[in-house]
Amino acid sequence: MSKSVKKVYGYLAEIETPSKLWKACEKCRDAGFKKWDAFSSFPVHGLDKAMGLKKSILPYLVFFGGLTGITTGFLLAYITQVQIYPTVVQAKPANIFTVAAFFPIMFELTILLSGFTTLFGLLGLMGLPRLNHPLFASKQFKRVTDDGLYIAIEARDPKFSPEATKAFLEEIGGYNIELVEDDE
Amino acid sequence: MGHFVTSANIPVDGEKLTHPLVKTLKLVSAAVAVIGLGVGAFIWFGQEDEVVKGSYTYSYLFGFTFFLTLAIGGCFWTLLHNVSNSGWGTSVRRIFENLGFVFPFMFILMIPFFFPDFQKYLWEWLTIFNDVTAAEGVSRYAGTLTLFGAEVPHGGFYGTVGNSELHYGLMDKHEAILDTKSWYMNPVAWYIRAVFYFASLGFVIWHMRNLSVKQDTDPNPGVKNLFTARAHASWGLPIFGVALTFWAFDFVMALDYKWFSTMWGVYFFAGCAMSSMALIILTVITLRRLGYLKHVVSTEHFHLMGKLNFAFVVFWAYITFSQFFLYWYANVTEETSYYLLRNTEGWNIVSICLVFGHFALPMLGLIRQDVKKNMTYMTVMTIYLLTIHMVDVYHMIIPERAPSLSLILGLGDIQLWFGEFKSWGCDILGFITIGAAFVFFYLNNLTSVALYPHRDPRILESANVHN
Repeated sequence: MSKSVKKVYGYLAEIETPSKLWKACEKCRDAGFKKWDAFSSFPVHGLDKAMGLKKSILPYLVFFGGLTGITTGFLLAYITQVQIYPTVVQAKPANIFTVAAFFPIMFELTILLSGFTTLFGLLGLMGLPRLNHPLFASKQFKRVTDDGLYIAIEARDPKFSPEATKAFLEEIGGYNIELVEDDE
Repeated sequence: MGHFVTSANIPVDGEKLTHPLVKTLKLVSAAVAVIGLGVGAFIWFGQEDEVVKGSYTYSYLFGFTFFLTLAIGGCFWTLLHNVSNSGWGTSVRRIFENLGFVFPFMFILMIPFFFPDFQKYLWEWLTIFNDVTAAEGVSRYAGTLTLFGAEVPHGGFYGTVGNSELHYGLMDKHEAILDTKSWYMNPVAWYIRAVFYFASLGFVIWHMRNLSVKQDTDPNPGVKNLFTARAHASWGLPIFGVALTFWAFDFVMALDYKWFSTMWGVYFFAGCAMSSMALIILTVITLRRLGYLKHVVSTEHFHLMGKLNFAFVVFWAYITFSQFFLYWYANVTEETSYYLLRNTEGWNIVSICLVFGHFALPMLGLIRQDVKKNMTYMTVMTIYLLTIHMVDVYHMIIPERAPSLSLILGLGDIQLWFGEFKSWGCDILGFITIGAAFVFFYLNNLTSVALYPHRDPRILESANVHN
């Protein structure tokens, strides 16, 4: 064993069933932990509420992404087709009422930029892509993509303590509790 | 998470709508409908002003179409819920069924349209047919009746003009378009279709509701009725699609028989689905306010129904814009006529209002998740959606009135635009008359059976739905 100090990520505890995970999350939430997470290979309905997660700000980003798209589409078509080079098609006027002809491009750009904002905003908010995660150091954590359900409480959490948190995880139904340390 | 709904929360004999307010409203609506029909009868038979008669006939069609879209939408949601094997909406499914079951009763109000005295104001092609057959000395139903007999100038099937007098009569009047279309647009086929729509879809929705209502009193409630309803909804849906599309063709699109749109049925359907879902949400909110559906309907249902409503606001915009875009910019004479009328002068204001009022505003107003779960907000929103859908139906039918009537009655200058009392006065009367009758039928359906299918195998699944 090397003498270098390893950075502690936190405690990892396995939970037996989805319903126990759900109840354990409620207890974690009520205990006031902030830096913690639950892991499951499939969606558990209502887990976000049990974890006390706040609503994502992503919809607002997407809204403004879409707004940028519709404005860009409008300006792109209006400036080129009405202002700079008025295109008269079948005697239809080239003025502000021509805007109906620009709806497809406005629509497409709204969708495109909303889509981009959704994808990249989501990745940004989740902190992805990343090369590694400290929990990958745990051997048992590999089962999370198969049949394992886990709760991890990070050492960064202000309420974290080496003994009390371990006892707490045992109390809420966790087993195989492991102190996860960063890989060298 | 609220508490879990169990069978202990579901009354054994179901919940019946017995609120005194509803009984009063039912009586009032019946009275208003009878008075309205009386005033309408006076306009049609008791006075001589042809302009008012014609104007009111358009108003009557407008009122009828608007409330028919709501009833047809009820049929759609019932069939869709059954055919998609849905579990979420079992606790509100009876509202769909009751709204849909107004549809067969609407046939009573459609009877005036069967008489040439009223048809002459609305559908010029029927008048032309009558004139030609009268001038040529053949029966009004000529052509169709000799389908398998006499010579057939155009060949073809089902109501083909099999009568040379009719054919040459139409050609002499320069009605080649009508002559070509007469395999579809002839009085016999028109009457058969008009009855068929109500008989077929009326039977489908009666059958669906009946299967659901029978379950309520079944001593051994099982899955039999539910599975039967699912299986039968699969053939009910094509009937629904045909009846809705061709009713809209025959009664609304045919107001200008030279004009046609293959998008028309979808456009009409989009309005039906959107407005009826708005009415369903409004009904469920009102029933909850009155103290019903407390255990089985949660905010999750409002979220789900709000999502469907939002979806159809967008779908309506997509369809309506596609129809407009292709026709307006393709600029083909007989295709553009519909929008030429509606994109000029005062009607253009209504068209622009629809873009913002029927799409932009409700789209932004319904996009958030939390507002769909807010009952006060949704009350305002659904009333708004019904109002703007009324404007949409108005925009479909009423612009046709001024030019058509002025031509038919030989008024010279085009009269009866939007601002005249003879127009909007009649519109209000027609709307209120049909509306009151609609409310009566709807409340009658709601009060006659339990408010939700309490013995449906999926009722607990629906009551505890989470999305």
